[in-house]
Amino acid sequence: MRMTRRRAATVLVASSLALQAKAHTPFPGAVADDDVRARAAIDGWYRLILELVRHTPTYSPPVAARAFGYLGVTAWEATVAAFPTHRSLAGQLDGLAPLPMLKGAPPDFGVVLNAALAAAVPVLFANTGPTGQRAMATMADRLAARMAAGLDDAMVTAARRQGQAIADHILAWSATDGGAEVSNMGFAASWPAPEEPSGWVPTSSVRQQQAPLLPGWGQNRPFAMPADNACLLPAPPAYSTDQDSAFYAEAMAVHAATANLTPEQEMIARFWSDDPMLSPTPPGHWITIARIVLDDQDADAVTRADTLARVGIGLADAMIACWHAKFEFDLLRPVTYIRAQIDPAFTPILITPPFPEYPSGHSTLSGASAEILTAVFGSNLAFTDTTHEDDGLPARSFTDFWEAAEEAGISRLYGGIHFPAAIHRGLEQGRCVAGWTNALVTRT
Amino acid sequence: MMRLVATFLLVAAPAFAQDPAVPTYVDETMAAGIGGTYAGDWEYMVGGGAASFDCNDDGFPDLLLSGGIDPARFYRNVATQGGPLAFVQEPSGLELTEVVQTYPLDVDGDGITDLALLRIGEVVLMRGLGDCQFARANEEWSFDGGDAWWSAFAATWEDGQDWPTLALGSYIDRHEDAFPWGSCTENRLYRPGDAGFAPPIALTPSHCPLAMMFTDWARTGTPDLRVSNDREYYKGGEEQLWHIPAGEPPRLWTADEGWQRLRIWGMGIASRDFDADGFPEYFLTSMADNKLQTLSDPVAGAVPEYRDVALSRGVTAHRPYIGDDLRPSTAWHVQIEDVNNDGLADIWVVKGNVDQMPDFAQEDPNNLLLQRPDGTFMEAGDSAGVASTDIGRGGLLVDFNLDGLLDMVVVNRRTAPQIWRNTGTGEVFGFAAFRLLATGANRDGINAWIELRTDGGTQRREITLGGGHASGQLGWWHFGLGTATIAEVRVLWPDGAEGPWAPVASGGFYLLTPDSPPVTWTPDRE
Repeated sequence: MRMTRRRAATVLVASSLALQAKAHTPFPGAVADDDVRARAAIDGWYRLILELVRHTPTYSPPVAARAFGYLGVTAWEATVAAFPTHRSLAGQLDGLAPLPMLKGAPPDFGVVLNAALAAAVPVLFANTGPTGQRAMATMADRLAARMAAGLDDAMVTAARRQGQAIADHILAWSATDGGAEVSNMGFAASWPAPEEPSGWVPTSSVRQQQAPLLPGWGQNRPFAMPADNACLLPAPPAYSTDQDSAFYAEAMAVHAATANLTPEQEMIARFWSDDPMLSPTPPGHWITIARIVLDDQDADAVTRADTLARVGIGLADAMIACWHAKFEFDLLRPVTYIRAQIDPAFTPILITPPFPEYPSGHSTLSGASAEILTAVFGSNLAFTDTTHEDDGLPARSFTDFWEAAEEAGISRLYGGIHFPAAIHRGLEQGRCVAGWTNALVTRT
Repeated sequence: MMRLVATFLLVAAPAFAQDPAVPTYVDETMAAGIGGTYAGDWEYMVGGGAASFDCNDDGFPDLLLSGGIDPARFYRNVATQGGPLAFVQEPSGLELTEVVQTYPLDVDGDGITDLALLRIGEVVLMRGLGDCQFARANEEWSFDGGDAWWSAFAATWEDGQDWPTLALGSYIDRHEDAFPWGSCTENRLYRPGDAGFAPPIALTPSHCPLAMMFTDWARTGTPDLRVSNDREYYKGGEEQLWHIPAGEPPRLWTADEGWQRLRIWGMGIASRDFDADGFPEYFLTSMADNKLQTLSDPVAGAVPEYRDVALSRGVTAHRPYIGDDLRPSTAWHVQIEDVNNDGLADIWVVKGNVDQMPDFAQEDPNNLLLQRPDGTFMEAGDSAGVASTDIGRGGLLVDFNLDGLLDMVVVNRRTAPQIWRNTGTGEVFGFAAFRLLATGANRDGINAWIELRTDGGTQRREITLGGGHASGQLGWWHFGLGTATIAEVRVLWPDGAEGPWAPVASGGFYLLTPDSPPVTWTPDRE
């Protein structure tokens, strides 16, 4: 099955603001010392947080996306502190007030950026285990020493103070978004049976997953979207057990796709599976793609901070928009319907996620990320995705970001965990989310 | 429409007509004479084992506790039959530091129990000298103890061998302080050599195991190696099952052979044939969830496809069942024994936060899950008096005072161990306990099956060395008889010999050998 690429969404509030985004071309060339150090800070901390996302149990995809959002904003605001000609996101993101600026000369880029991330990461990942705590402390020590090497002590102290102030400001802002406190690994303590046959029911034998993940996440304060419902979706095909119905056809499409998987299709399903606690999650997968492309482009530190902020914001908003729709429409998973109506032995190759089906979260995330990265780097930028090489999954190459996003979407069909409509509309919802992110102005 | 999010409600569990009798455990930690701590920081966040064995031939189980950075501690059992639990700490030669896991086994087949001490650094095999004295034997037995964060152990005797085969699991590269994830170091298989052990074989890929068990899951007569791995640290890993064919290299069971990918925070394993189909079920401890696996198609030539029945049996033990701390649980040691002697095996799980992990319960009581006749389980940790919320790791259920009731010892991280005496349920339930005396090198009959039948049905258990978390035991193997006064027992010995059914009486201790009827044993200290 092949998705219709970039299908126009007729009912989405797809913001035309996306068109206003500028494609920022990185400028390789002579590299300043502070840029080298700033790159090291970004690369070190992002490498670590991708591990922390994987190894901190509360970091399901929505929670991970939120962390990427706040850390991206932190990195960007530290960049603005070092280069005041760039534009702060304060006033552009919901509820973000102007950041405190110390008097005097702008702080050293590397030191302030590292100090801000070093202050923010341990708070956003405060609930990681002893190994993560140890790793954060080690990273902080190593990078602090590297950032300060050869610099005047007073300048280092001032820049660190500025970085800490930026982090404090962002963290205080983050505390009021509705997503700061996550208990029971995000799962509701209990959940009533659905009133309609179309409603989601648990699909797992794990006790904790007898209630869905993060049912209130769709009400969190978004970053760049004006509201959690800024990218609404049409309803999924009406639930029916009639074999002539559109819904039955959707289920048959899942059954047929999974029954005859080619090795390539199975590989695609596993490549984009991105299971929580076994991978950097789907948001982390796209952060990894962004980092790969930034490396390919030998992007400077400003571009890295800008790009990671944009992708992080888009991911966070995508999860809010998607979760809003998931619990609005509260649709059952393919495995539930197919076993009841078509094939009692149906067993998808992927683990069915423990929350309602519509739309596909990975599709929304991927659509948003592809649209944002296209805005940053332009279209037709080929890259090779090595996210899962450490886990033994070979790299996959793509001609552009949307090819990757569409493959991520269709992987959920091959995996047997989503109906086609959830994939198509999820991608379009992502495009809508990205419109708000791409409208942010960071560099003039 | 969005459904309303339910708030946490603690509702008292309803009583079932089939609810089992609850044993009463009495905390005798202070009086019993055990103490010390399992101490240490990061490298000691896992481990913390106990070993029980009889090293002075009095029939009473003695005790060794891991000390972490502190020396391990040996306790001679000085209790009398049916009396209070009582130990005396004595020098034994086992007082090594950096000990994290402890397993008794008779390596050299001399009838004197030896010990495997897994450490942060080198594994040391300690040869039993008699009268509870031990001496290092790595060089004598050509055993290369390596240098790793050792984290799992199992032993078996392969077909035709007069020397054991050991499996050793190792954890993270402890020198990786910034990016330890994905740094799982090499597991090893030690087979018999010309003099002692041959150089170890790498069991790769290795995925940071915290428990291992040689088990004849398919009843072929040849145990395979089941490995439970901690997904926190591996990349590309999963639970593992290794073919260990005699005389051939080990090889993994594959998906093409039916092995199903499962990725959990694997921390402990225990097995028992709960459903009397002849094939063992496996309990796997983890975080926020635990698994009870039953073979999907339990027939000869079975493939290793398992269904998780923990939810339907009521043994997910996923969060605390007392107190206000309702965050998810962290489970370590697991042991399956009949603690109330009603003839139904029960499940005991030791709990404890890894180390101040805020996503998980800090007040995390150990579970005592009593089996009902319908195969479901009832939580009885609180009513039995063993709902400790100390930071548990390893432990053992052992009849320390030989009264036919299984007592309980727990190794806690950073605080003192705890020991409870089982004083019974008030019901007139009997027991029988058996000690295997095999011929040949495998003197303790590891991987034998003991079967016991009464009017109530047939119970069977595989005698394994490994599993649980960090802890092992040799000695009496316990069966509850319920109200039966007589039973029949037989042993399916590791060499394939099938012993005859023989009568035994409730309340007895029996020595079982391949070629003679059960021999009644009575303790000297009554």
